[in-house]
Amino acid sequence: MATEAQALAGDWGGGVHPYRVGHRKLGMWLFIMSDSLTFSALLMGYAYLRASNVWPEPFKFYPSIVFSSVMTLVLLSSSLTMVMAVSASARRDKSRARLWIIATALLGLTFIILHSIEWNHLISEGLRPFQLPQEWVEKWPGSTPLFGATFFGITGMHMFHVFTGCIYLFVVAARVNKLKHEDVEISGLYWHFVDLVWMFVFPMIYLLSVYPRK
Amino acid sequence: MSEMEMTSQTPEKREQSLLNLICLIAAALFLALVAYNLFAAGAVISTDGLFFTVVPLLLAMMFLVVPGLDMWKKRKALAAEGGAAEAAAHAEPEEEIHFVGSNRLFLSVWFWLLVLTAFEVFLGYIRLPVVYMLVILMGASIIKAALIVAYFMHLRFERINLILTIVPAVVICICLLLVFFPDSFRAKNLRYSGPPPAAGSEARP
Repeated sequence: MATEAQALAGDWGGGVHPYRVGHRKLGMWLFIMSDSLTFSALLMGYAYLRASNVWPEPFKFYPSIVFSSVMTLVLLSSSLTMVMAVSASARRDKSRARLWIIATALLGLTFIILHSIEWNHLISEGLRPFQLPQEWVEKWPGSTPLFGATFFGITGMHMFHVFTGCIYLFVVAARVNKLKHEDVEISGLYWHFVDLVWMFVFPMIYLLSVYPRK
Repeated sequence: MSEMEMTSQTPEKREQSLLNLICLIAAALFLALVAYNLFAAGAVISTDGLFFTVVPLLLAMMFLVVPGLDMWKKRKALAAEGGAAEAAAHAEPEEEIHFVGSNRLFLSVWFWLLVLTAFEVFLGYIRLPVVYMLVILMGASIIKAALIVAYFMHLRFERINLILTIVPAVVICICLLLVFFPDSFRAKNLRYSGPPPAAGSEARP
């Protein structure tokens, strides 16, 4: 009991880190908190529109869903390589950490390329931010043209995060010898967050809009 | 001894700063000439105007070289000092690393994430009604998010202080966003859902 009270007094008495994380890591956590609210606001806006409108369900299982499942696989694997990078860095194995980080960034780039192809499909079908392709309007009469706005807005925001994450990771990989372990861990936090967001975007945007079997 | 050095250094320094000052004044004069020329000449991009702009600018830059070099030297000396001090500070405590979790653990987490994703895609394949779909997908996604946050983002192995600071705040804020849904359903109920207008009436564009 006494030791616990002493420990608590030691924690909050000043001169130590009560969270046992550095200020940069705490800052990244706070950034992630605010960014998760940005994404939840976007997804809630999407859900609002979807619940109050006739909504098109245009994604055919093949190719769209299969394609986006591959994208999910790529992003999940990049999370795994990032964890491996952090674990190598914790063993003070900087060169291996650098390789894992570069692998992560390359998987991120793969994700961006795949997603651009997917966007390109939809755009060539005639989807625009405020306009549906004619085919869809006939299939789902009265459906809202805001489908494109939510789709491009949410996935574009996510792609932007992946893109900045790739740049971040390349910078970390280049400077990994000068950086502390905690800095590598912080870049990992950001990358896992990007992955986490996709775990909500993928089901909500894609899997809830699978083309009806008719 | 040290005082001797001080006195022998000071005039040199004074000279240097006097030189810097003169150079800066000269550069400022030339820059003022450039500015005057720009306003007085009317047309900047004429041959004469360009000449009278570029030449004083070059002269100003030549005068700026002296104080510039001096400043650069000082900064370099400072950086060398700072670097040495930092190296000394770094040499003392090796960064303590707090890291829990084996590669096997991470692999198994990754495996379960893949399994959950495959399950979700399978649900998309068999096309359940959208309400069931929504509930099950959201449940699976929350489990996946929890796995990522707990193991990949390492939150499970942090102090309880940090966990209690981060998680409840985000969860509460996100739940507060649900307040919009009644309005969304209201908007849906306001929508006209009667029979379509007669074929003869005006066609909408």
